[in-house]
Amino acid sequence: MAALGRVALLLSFGLVSYALVAGSYAAYARRRRLSLSAQNALLAAFGTTLVAAAVLLAALARRDFSFVYVAQHTSRSLPLGYALSAFWGGQEGSLLLWLLILSGYAALAVWLNRRSRELIAWVVPVLGGVAFFFAFMLCFVSSPFDKAVAPGDGAGMVASLQNPYMLAHPPMLYLGYVGLTIPFAFGIGALLARRTDERWIVATRRWTLAAWTFLGVGQLLGAHWAYVEIGWGGYYAWDPVENAALMPWLAATAFLHSVMIQEKRGMLKVWNMVLVALAFNLSILGTFLTRSGVVNSIHSFSQSSIGGWFLGFIVICVVFSVGLIYLRLPLLRARTKLESLVSREATFLYNNLLLVALALTILWGVMFPLLTQAVNGETRSVSKPYYNFFLHSFGLPLLLLMGIGPLVAWRRASLRALGKTFVIPAVAALVTGIALIAVGLGSSTPGLLTYSFSAFVLASIVFEFVRGTRATGSLRRLVAKNRRRYGGYVVHASVLLLAIGIAGSSAYQTIRERGLKPGQSMEIAGYTLTYRSLENTQQSNAQTTSATVDVYRGRSHLSTLHPGKSFFPVEDDFGNDVAIYHDPRNLGDVFTIADQFDKNGTLFLKVLVKPLVNLVWAAGFLFVFGSLVALWPDAVEQRRLAERYEPGTAAVRI
Amino acid sequence: MKRSPARLVIALSVAAVLAVFILYTAIAGNATTQLSPSTLAGTTRHVAVVGIVVGKPTGDAHSAGGLRFRLKDDSGTSAARVLVVYHGTVPPLFRTGRHVVLSGRLRNGVFVGDNSSLVTKCPSKYTPAKSKKT
Amino acid sequence: MALALALGSLLAVLVVVFVARPFLREPAPASDLLDERGELERRHLELVEERDRALGALKELEFDHRTGKVSDGDYHELVGPLRRRAAETLRALEPRAEARHEPISSSR
Repeated sequence: MAALGRVALLLSFGLVSYALVAGSYAAYARRRRLSLSAQNALLAAFGTTLVAAAVLLAALARRDFSFVYVAQHTSRSLPLGYALSAFWGGQEGSLLLWLLILSGYAALAVWLNRRSRELIAWVVPVLGGVAFFFAFMLCFVSSPFDKAVAPGDGAGMVASLQNPYMLAHPPMLYLGYVGLTIPFAFGIGALLARRTDERWIVATRRWTLAAWTFLGVGQLLGAHWAYVEIGWGGYYAWDPVENAALMPWLAATAFLHSVMIQEKRGMLKVWNMVLVALAFNLSILGTFLTRSGVVNSIHSFSQSSIGGWFLGFIVICVVFSVGLIYLRLPLLRARTKLESLVSREATFLYNNLLLVALALTILWGVMFPLLTQAVNGETRSVSKPYYNFFLHSFGLPLLLLMGIGPLVAWRRASLRALGKTFVIPAVAALVTGIALIAVGLGSSTPGLLTYSFSAFVLASIVFEFVRGTRATGSLRRLVAKNRRRYGGYVVHASVLLLAIGIAGSSAYQTIRERGLKPGQSMEIAGYTLTYRSLENTQQSNAQTTSATVDVYRGRSHLSTLHPGKSFFPVEDDFGNDVAIYHDPRNLGDVFTIADQFDKNGTLFLKVLVKPLVNLVWAAGFLFVFGSLVALWPDAVEQRRLAERYEPGTAAVRI
Repeated sequence: MKRSPARLVIALSVAAVLAVFILYTAIAGNATTQLSPSTLAGTTRHVAVVGIVVGKPTGDAHSAGGLRFRLKDDSGTSAARVLVVYHGTVPPLFRTGRHVVLSGRLRNGVFVGDNSSLVTKCPSKYTPAKSKKT
Repeated sequence: MALALALGSLLAVLVVVFVARPFLREPAPASDLLDERGELERRHLELVEERDRALGALKELEFDHRTGKVSDGDYHELVGPLRRRAAETLRALEPRAEARHEPISSSR
């Protein structure tokens, strides 16, 4: 069956090559049938890639160890779910997943927009070109269908991966990363077709939003995984692999905002092209960083051979994007100018500037070790203090802007009008700030600012909904008439929750570690933790040593936790079992790690009290909800856009 | 406003952002040099050492004497080894053969690690099929 | 093995047929030219987008005024030019023959 997989991939390779070459020629020479043929090739490539994926999945399901890939990533005792998830556990499989999602998205996007023939004629070869790289890698460099003599049992899956997050986190991320290719392809296609209208933006608006949502959710899942399963006490370590997903997400956030300006005012055409290319290239860079092992990361994926290929591909994409944008600059010049620095356009511009600045400083931080190594042979790296500084410097103003933007009108806002609308949110912020200082939370300036700014933003969002509802009569009607805006406000609210949760759990965190003998207690942030006893238990795949720890506030017993360590015999590895108490009073966690069990019975217990951390996870749910509202199809708008771009007369053409 | 001030303000804002960046990296820097055991010798400043654990670790990271282990280069064939003394949290993945990084300072030929700065990489999943002893 | 190759061959045949379909369906078409958006159509599209923008801006201004974001004074100051602009864009689209020769003044 591996032969079928190989053939299917070779067919995919042939098809996307055809889509690239024939599609380019067809668009250039205006050959209708050839263009349709290239389009079909792209659609067919999804079919053949799907066949290849099915072959791999089947081999994983039946543990066919004659497939080298299956032998390397599964074992007989591995539960079926994890065996299937090994599809994206290894390099070859994750490349196949990329190609599968890309070809699927490409097929769908092209099919939905097939009536816009002139644009699609150019979009097809661009998508074919990106797919070409992955198909090439899969056929000739890194194939999942290599075979060898089947060993008795496979190498198994690393213990730390055997949890439900392995099923959800990588696919979500990939749906996001790959999704950013679609707006990129449409933008480049529009440039190649010398089009200056907004068809490409309108066509890809929901794609961008969906990809951005997947990428955001994927990151939150990864953060939660790190928090509860890996259990080092945090959820984000500014590791290169984590940053690899954050950077394109930030660029996509900037893009989502600035297309609104192009839509409303016709400005920023060049900037939008730059942003979409930046988002796409950062997502390829992200895949490269994650998979190539070129930068030191604790998520060691491999010291792999494909790094060079990826780098070459990125260089080609960047040069091509920049070159094409430069060539088409005269076409993209806007005729409208920014009228006032006090306008919603201006706040969007500041927002873009800060988002891109943040993304670029993170990029600098990630590439820094490579640069210093290349320049003077010495590897230097930056860490948390660097990233935190810029997160505060750029993130806090961004937070404030989230509240300012909605209060400012388009085009031009008079300062007096601003003054009136700003008063209540500003008072809310001030009151919050003073109240917090009074309660003793002034110890952290970033924390204090985050909370105060959040009060401002919250007031501003509430106002938007209240005033809007009053004007239209009902909340439902308000949202139905402008899903994108009010869905966007819900997403802003989720970002608020995220900011508050992050501030609470980092700025106001308390950490303490003590060696305790049974019966002894430790105090931390108003809690008392008492170590009672030790247990050894045997589970199906692990031997666990755990401690029983009671958590009290004053005299009242809050919870009994069992932090411990597990040993997994098959993988010959240890793992932490952290125990967390979720305190409803401060929406925070008491996070316990059994750091070490001494032979003489002493438990070294590390405890982190993280106020408000559960808001981070709650934010995820609100984020998805807000995005769904914003994504929801709007019949009225669809009709209007169809009328604009495919008016009745055009359909008559054959 | 006849002449749009936008360009000027955008340029100023970009300059401001750049200034923040440059000032920070120049003044606070906060970059740590990463060395491997073979390049560590003779360094007196605060650095991070990257390497693979060799031999059997001894001692206890929570005791006065600390956890003691040796590191070798993670690539290349250098015979250089450095002895590390470490106090603090030991990640559960830590063991002989694992790829680790920790910060600290070289003192009298022994690398004294910063408290709880030890990080262990997740084991690579792509090592070619080694013989499993199980 | 044989099954794999048979399936593979079948897949290959299906794929080739699908890709060749446009040529098989129309072996000798009247025109094989990909419709190109003529200069006129591009201009029309631009005008339509500008019209939609102008109308949208008016709607937003009204809404912002109703919700109190824009004061009465500001509203009266802004609504005039916006209405004029919207009217301009509508006019440019109405008698299409004229629109093609009449350049629209660049927006303020």
